[in-house]
Amino acid sequence: MTTRAKIFMIIIALPFMMAYADAQDVDYRFSVVDEGTLSKLDLTTPLNFHNQTLPQPTSANNAVSNLFLEYGGLSTSLNLSAFANNVEAPDYAFAIRELAYDLSLSDNFDLTVGRKILKWGPGYAFNPTGVVEPQRTPSDPSDRLGQNDGRTLVSLNGFVGKSSLTLVYLNDAKISAGKLHGGEQDGALRVYTFLNGLDLSGILHYREGDRLEVGTNWSYVIGQNLELHGEFLAKRGSSFLYHQIIASDNPEQIFASYPYVALYDHSNDIFYKLLVGGQYTFDNGLNVTIEYYRNLDGLTRGEWNQWMKFVKFQNGIQQGAIAAAPELIQPSRYNLLWALQTLSPRGTMRDYLFGREYYSVNAWSFEFIQLLNADDGSCVIIPTVSYRISENFFTYTRGTLFAGSANSEYGALFTTYSMNIGVEFHL
Amino acid sequence: MKTWSRVIIAGIAMAAALTSSSAQSADDANRSKLTGDEILQTSDLSRNGWNSYSVLTTIINYEDGELKEKGSFDVSIKGMNKTLVKFMNADVKGQYLLMVDDDMWIYMPNTRKPIRITPLQRLMGDASNGDVARTRYAEDYSAKLMREESVNGVPCYVLDLDAKRDGATYKRIEYWVEKETKRPKKAEMYLASGKHYKSITFDHYEETGGRVLLTQMTITDRLREGRTTVMKYASYAEKELPEKYFNKDYLEKLR
Repeated sequence: MTTRAKIFMIIIALPFMMAYADAQDVDYRFSVVDEGTLSKLDLTTPLNFHNQTLPQPTSANNAVSNLFLEYGGLSTSLNLSAFANNVEAPDYAFAIRELAYDLSLSDNFDLTVGRKILKWGPGYAFNPTGVVEPQRTPSDPSDRLGQNDGRTLVSLNGFVGKSSLTLVYLNDAKISAGKLHGGEQDGALRVYTFLNGLDLSGILHYREGDRLEVGTNWSYVIGQNLELHGEFLAKRGSSFLYHQIIASDNPEQIFASYPYVALYDHSNDIFYKLLVGGQYTFDNGLNVTIEYYRNLDGLTRGEWNQWMKFVKFQNGIQQGAIAAAPELIQPSRYNLLWALQTLSPRGTMRDYLFGREYYSVNAWSFEFIQLLNADDGSCVIIPTVSYRISENFFTYTRGTLFAGSANSEYGALFTTYSMNIGVEFHL
Repeated sequence: MKTWSRVIIAGIAMAAALTSSSAQSADDANRSKLTGDEILQTSDLSRNGWNSYSVLTTIINYEDGELKEKGSFDVSIKGMNKTLVKFMNADVKGQYLLMVDDDMWIYMPNTRKPIRITPLQRLMGDASNGDVARTRYAEDYSAKLMREESVNGVPCYVLDLDAKRDGATYKRIEYWVEKETKRPKKAEMYLASGKHYKSITFDHYEETGGRVLLTQMTITDRLREGRTTVMKYASYAEKELPEKYFNKDYLEKLR
């Protein structure tokens, strides 16, 4: 049976599953989102000159359906998606994003086993203490297409009054060729208490082969309108993989092998991630969120400039603007592709400011997100207008504008702006 | 007029005066017996049937008389200070609001984590979270009996409610409670800035589970002209709710 036929059968089966769920007291949520995207590419950026290094689509359509089912303690999130653009062949995928069993051991203790999304920390766009969560992007904090995947874990929760304790063991184990392959192991402990209006958590996290991370997060409400929050996570050294060029004084070199290394793995310096923020709700319902994020794993302005010089040098070779021996042209292309791995959806540099304004009136809602790289002044601006047609149907238009100088993080990205138009159906 | 007749008339007048005076005294005595806080505590019983219960709440939002939004919520209340609101509409299914004392958290299935929110953030329309979650005013406000007056011909106590804490939904409430039944009749809500924020009328009460409980109230926005919200209550049921349901970190398990 072809993938298309399997997907078709699953779509046909969904209404029957819903009907069964209704009859069996199964809790469910179902959504289908169809989102079209049009993008204007930056053809001058050395990261992807004339869209040659890593060809990007200018138009795309993404259809995603998510089904959440819960029966007793067993819950699962199933994801079915179809993606098409003008660069690659259409892609269809089915994923079990979550499949977990929650067992209530007593009035005070719960056990969870399976694949599940856990998110810790009160930050809106950034979560330094989200040590157990899947990777996500600050420009889409609400994961509108439901793309985050759960992690395989065993979690024990204890609840006493306004306090709780969570102990999690994670193993990114996978089954392939009928065999279970153990993955990287993590362990995390969270102790939470609520004291005089202050939400306070302490966090320990250990990843196999790495050093212990220690963190805390908090949130506090002042009066009717203001909420403040913060997160902090620190450890000695950093296992973050850096491009070696940032520690080199020669940006005009070609690496013969994969150039990323954990430069500060054995350092005794403290590397921390810090978030402070707050949200204010005006009397008319307008909600404003502001956050500042500092990540010492990120590149300094000098390191970024060194990396950009390296990228420009490799791009110059690719475009023939810099003379190079013919046998170096192909390695230089690999160098350019490897260099792109420095870019992170969580931010590549050290300091970021995030702003969000949200207002809804009747069936309309308006969201305006700004993400500013405080090191180089570049920014991403994301306005979204949503209209609620009915309880089941939504439509939205979302723009994304990247702005900044040619040498800045967001100014150098592949895209100048893009627009998404989506329709959502919820059941 | 004969002397006897005069005596009888005078007697009747005196008796009437005495009766009236004794009724006034009884009323005064009655009034002196019930403090504002006591009236408020009694009136709360019309909105909370049991110590631990659930109720289906529907919020209907109108603008200039036109229906704009309708939302359904499964509200669980435990004791004096704990409320858990489950969102029932298809577009917000899986969303929860937890309120413990004055503190609130919202859990959204997309973000997958409880987020602390301020009392002014709304569930929908002109109903604030506090309008849904905080139904025991005696916990949040201290009451002073100001006067008595009739509302649509129904004699009422007029209470002045002052927020006991900064986190209460409103800074001040003018509260009319029916004298005879001690049920809330109407309310005027004010913000800390002194602005007149909302007016509420308590429209219908019905007998359910052996108690007479509120089944409909209407909120009129005084800051935005023409906006009203009707809140309907149905399926009141006494329910045992585990304590852990009201712990912030348990929200990620409720889904």
